[in-house]
Amino acid sequence: MAAPEVHHLFHAPIADHSFSADRATLAVARDTTVELYHRTPSGSGPGPTFRLQDELRGHDKTITGVDIAPRSGRIVTSSQDRNAYVWEPSASGEWKPTLVLLRINRAATCVRWSPSEAKFAVGSGARTIAVCYFEADNDWWVSKHIKKPLRSTVTSVAWHPNSVLLAAGSTDGHARVFSSFIKGTDERPEASAWGERLPFNTVCGEYLNPTAGWVHDVAFSPSGAALAFCAHDSSVTIVYPSGPEQPPQAVISVSTQLLPFTSILWSSETELVCAGYDCGVYRFAGSADGWQLSGTLEKDERGSASRPGLEQREESALNMFRSMDLKGRAGGGGSSGGVDDTKLKTVHQNSISTLRAYETDGEGRVARISTGGVDGRVVVWKL
Amino acid sequence: MAANINWRTINIDALDPESAYNFDLTTLTPAVQPVSSSEVQTLSGQVRQLLRGGNAEGALRGALENAPYGADEQGKAMHLSVVTEVLGQIRQAEMTPLLQRMYQAEGGSELCDTLMKYLYKGMGQGTPTSNSTPKNLTPQATGFSQVGGRHFGGGEGGGQAMSVFLSWHEKLVEMVGPGSIVRVMSDRRTV
Repeated sequence: MAAPEVHHLFHAPIADHSFSADRATLAVARDTTVELYHRTPSGSGPGPTFRLQDELRGHDKTITGVDIAPRSGRIVTSSQDRNAYVWEPSASGEWKPTLVLLRINRAATCVRWSPSEAKFAVGSGARTIAVCYFEADNDWWVSKHIKKPLRSTVTSVAWHPNSVLLAAGSTDGHARVFSSFIKGTDERPEASAWGERLPFNTVCGEYLNPTAGWVHDVAFSPSGAALAFCAHDSSVTIVYPSGPEQPPQAVISVSTQLLPFTSILWSSETELVCAGYDCGVYRFAGSADGWQLSGTLEKDERGSASRPGLEQREESALNMFRSMDLKGRAGGGGSSGGVDDTKLKTVHQNSISTLRAYETDGEGRVARISTGGVDGRVVVWKL
Repeated sequence: MAANINWRTINIDALDPESAYNFDLTTLTPAVQPVSSSEVQTLSGQVRQLLRGGNAEGALRGALENAPYGADEQGKAMHLSVVTEVLGQIRQAEMTPLLQRMYQAEGGSELCDTLMKYLYKGMGQGTPTSNSTPKNLTPQATGFSQVGGRHFGGGEGGGQAMSVFLSWHEKLVEMVGPGSIVRVMSDRRTV
């Protein structure tokens, strides 16, 4: 397995990150700005490096979500200041923000473009999902609210490939599937196991795992025929619906021994990739008959110096003096045989906040994924 | 009359129909079967009988499989004291093999999570040997209890029970990892 490509961008948490379709631009949410990095072929290091190119300023509170639409290249951002902006490149190369009328009275927590790129959904702490679309008459983005039966903060939103069905995870412990059909914007979707007639705000499914821990992330399988969500009880739950208004065909919950996952991604119909507070990336494999933890993307060899990206020590002088002070020996080298136990054995040195598909191969399988973490790193992994 | 109203103490949440205050949160939690105190008592009797018969493993299994999630505070406290009793009867050396057998059996990870809940509840109680609920526990709306002040000096018995809980905890975490501890915190079915 090829070594993961590590980009240590800065020393601050990355709440969300998104690559453009050509993978040349990387948008990273850093505090109240979004930083745009551009790929430069090769610096001094072995792989490509990312250089800061532009900053999107406009929000005045922490940014919680950023998403680049793959085809149009438009960037949408959501923030704790209760606003969302759509950023479009202008002729002069500058990014022009358009305010979206979200009409929410609590922080926006997450944002995702629909696959059609005509809409996006913003989750919020106001127990609301704002489904936003462009109104050409007024030349701005307006929103319609999904309110019922949400009882708590929406932590995550995910789109079905048909751009009508929307899944949302909430801190009330439920993962729900809604219809976000908007007349004039959407085409009437084909009937599926989730429902046949789908007016706006139809609840197509409401799922709970046995412990009812709050849901961190939700995801539809590539075909949209199954839903997976990860919750704060360290579990991953996969739901296979059987038909409209009917109990699901299978609900499989896998409890793990690890810390909870905060992000979940289907790499194919039979494989899931999860990451979170355990700082590592884990794979699950299965089908409607059952799921299980199948492995990790981390290398097994412990404490070896061969892991790339970690050779450059963070704040090495500080570490050295701290180590001399606390342990009476110089960091790294010392009596215990050169093992530095102040570092995690994972590539990310803090919890991972988002996991994204980076590259898909010809058959629609995700070949590479990217993760962004609290440690300020963006890592590209090969599956 | 308006002069008599203390505006600062009006519960504004109660006046807002949208507020979570006016919403029954139990509809969001998994349904649990209500269990009466007498049923808990019967169960305790059965578990104690198994324990007296020398089948500590069966007693523990039975107590954990039938954890009374739907019982009231008194019933739960009663069941906790039974579980504590069983745990105290099992020797250090037997803990790991017993846990291994339990974990590998069908539905074993669920049982281990339940055991972890009892360990934390027991450790939070301070003096688990006494059957009455300690007065320094303030039950919170979230379902968790907050310990106002620990009294470790609660006699020899308390310290001994605590060491039993701690050694079980150590062995259990070795097996089921931190995931189980997180589940104790996030599970809405409390023991």
